[in-house]
Amino acid sequence: MPQRDIAIIGASETKIELRSGRTTYDLAGEAMAGALASAGLEKHEIDGLAVTSCFSDAGNPFFSPILAGYLGLQLDWCQTTDLGGAGATGSVARAAMAIRAGLCHTVLVLSADAQSSDNRGDIRGFRGEFQYPVGIMGPPGYFGLLSNRYDHQYGLDPRALAKLAVTQRDHALLNPLACDKLRKPLTEADYLASPMISHPIRMLDCVMVADGASACIVTTTERAKAIGVKRMAHPIGYGERVNHLEAENCPDITKVGQEVAGAKALAQAGMKIGDIKQFHPYDDFLIAIILQMEGLGFCKPGEGCKYVLEHDFHFNGDLPLNTGGGQISAGQAGLAGGAHNLTEALRQLFGEAGERQVKDRSNAMVTGIGWIPYGRNWGSSTVLVLEAG
Amino acid sequence: MSERDPLEGLRPAPVKQDFSQPFWDGAAQGKFLLQYCPESGKYQFYPRPVSVQTGKRNLEWREVSGRGTVYSHTVTYRSPIPVKGIKPYIVALVELEEGVRVMANLIGCPVEAVKIGMAVKLAWVKAGEDNFPAFEPA
Repeated sequence: MPQRDIAIIGASETKIELRSGRTTYDLAGEAMAGALASAGLEKHEIDGLAVTSCFSDAGNPFFSPILAGYLGLQLDWCQTTDLGGAGATGSVARAAMAIRAGLCHTVLVLSADAQSSDNRGDIRGFRGEFQYPVGIMGPPGYFGLLSNRYDHQYGLDPRALAKLAVTQRDHALLNPLACDKLRKPLTEADYLASPMISHPIRMLDCVMVADGASACIVTTTERAKAIGVKRMAHPIGYGERVNHLEAENCPDITKVGQEVAGAKALAQAGMKIGDIKQFHPYDDFLIAIILQMEGLGFCKPGEGCKYVLEHDFHFNGDLPLNTGGGQISAGQAGLAGGAHNLTEALRQLFGEAGERQVKDRSNAMVTGIGWIPYGRNWGSSTVLVLEAG
Repeated sequence: MSERDPLEGLRPAPVKQDFSQPFWDGAAQGKFLLQYCPESGKYQFYPRPVSVQTGKRNLEWREVSGRGTVYSHTVTYRSPIPVKGIKPYIVALVELEEGVRVMANLIGCPVEAVKIGMAVKLAWVKAGEDNFPAFEPA
C-alpha cells in the first residue's frame, strides 16, 4: 500500500529568462513567495529547507544557511542537495524523510540558479585531468557518444527526436513562464536543419542554459488537511540511483539508472508503468527522453523511437509529456532546471495548468538526471511518482 | 593544428591528481600505464585513489598494449577549446584489449571514416607539455 502521509501543498516557478542579471537569492525569494501564496501558508510555518546546489553560488560552502538567512527562515532542518538536475526530485524525497523522522514538519523545497548570468562552477577531478585536454564539447559531446552507440545498437530515427522537439515547443507556446527566446513555433524541418554541435547532437537536441527558480512546500497530509488545503499531491513512490553500473569497466552506455530507480518508485506506489497518466522526464537532451522511456518500461530497449512515433505526447494526447515545454523548450535554469519538470507536474496535479491542463490529472511521473561521469551514461537518476489528493 | 591532428598545440595541460602521478611519469617515457587491481584481476581508468572493485589501496601500475577498438565516437563541430576556425575533430571512446575505456582523440583519420568497432592503436599527443593518450587507426 502506498503511503499518503506526505503532501505537497503549493508550487511556484519564476519566469525563465536568459541572462536576467538577477541573483540566485532574488530568484529564490520570488519562488518562495509564490509557493507560500500557492499553499496559503505563512512563512513562519516553514521549519525545513532543502535546496538544490547551483552554478551561480557554487564555491559557497554555506549556501543553504545563507540562503535561509536571506529568506528570513529559522529552521530545524536545512540541507543542500547536490544531485544536479536530479536535485529537485531528490529534495522532495529528503524532505519527506526529514518530516517522517520528526526533524521538522513543513519543508520549503527550493531550486534557484542564475547560471546564464553568473556561472561560478569549477568542476574538478577527472575533468581537468582527462576530459578537457580531449576537447569533448561538454554534455553535447557526451550525448553524441551516447547517441552514436545507440544508433549502432538499435538505430536512431531523427524523426522521433524531431517529434519530441516539436511537441515540447508546442507546450512552451502555451506556457507564459517559458523563456521568451524559445517561445517560437518549431517544425520537424527546423529541427533537422539545426546546426551540428557534436555529431549527431544538433543545437535543437540541447537545452539552453538560462536563469530561474522553482519552489514547492512539503508537509504532512494531516497538517495540510488541518489548515484547509483544498488540493495536494502525494509523493507515493521514489527511487534514486547514483553512478549506475559504476563497478563495470565497460557497461552498455545506453542503460540508464532510471531502470532501477523507476522499478523501485513504481513498486512503492503499487503501480505499473502503464498506470502513469502523465510523464515529465528530465530533458537536457532529446535522446535522454527516449532512453528513459526504455529504461522505465514504457517500451522495450531499442524501441524508443518507434514508441515516440506511435504516440501523441501533447497535453491532450495519449501520454502527456513535459507539458510546460520541458527544459529544452522552456529553458534550463541551471541546476534548478530539474525543478521545472517537477513544478509543471504539480501544476497539472493541482488542476492549475491553464490552457494546457491535462484531462486525467490523477497521477504523474517526474524524473531527474544529474552530472555526467567519464565516458558513461549520466551519473544521477531519480524517479518520483506523484498522486493527486 | 595539423592535417593529422586538428588539436595539435591546442590541448590544455592536464590538472593532475596526486595519485595519478605514475600515469604521467609513464606517459613522459612513452609508456601507457594503467592501475591494476590484483584481487579482482581488473584494470581501471581514469586513475583512482582506491580499487573501484574492492575499495582497497593495493593497486599496481602495469604497462598496457594501447590496442583497442572504437566503442563510440562523436565529431566535434563546436569546440570548448577557444580557437577560431578549428577543423572538426573526432572524440572516441576506445575500449582497450585490457577491458577499460579511454576517451581520446582519434587522429590521422578523416571524420567520415570513423566507425564503431574499428581497430585503433595508441598515439601520443601533447596536452600542454605532457604526453597525452590519443589513438589512430591500427
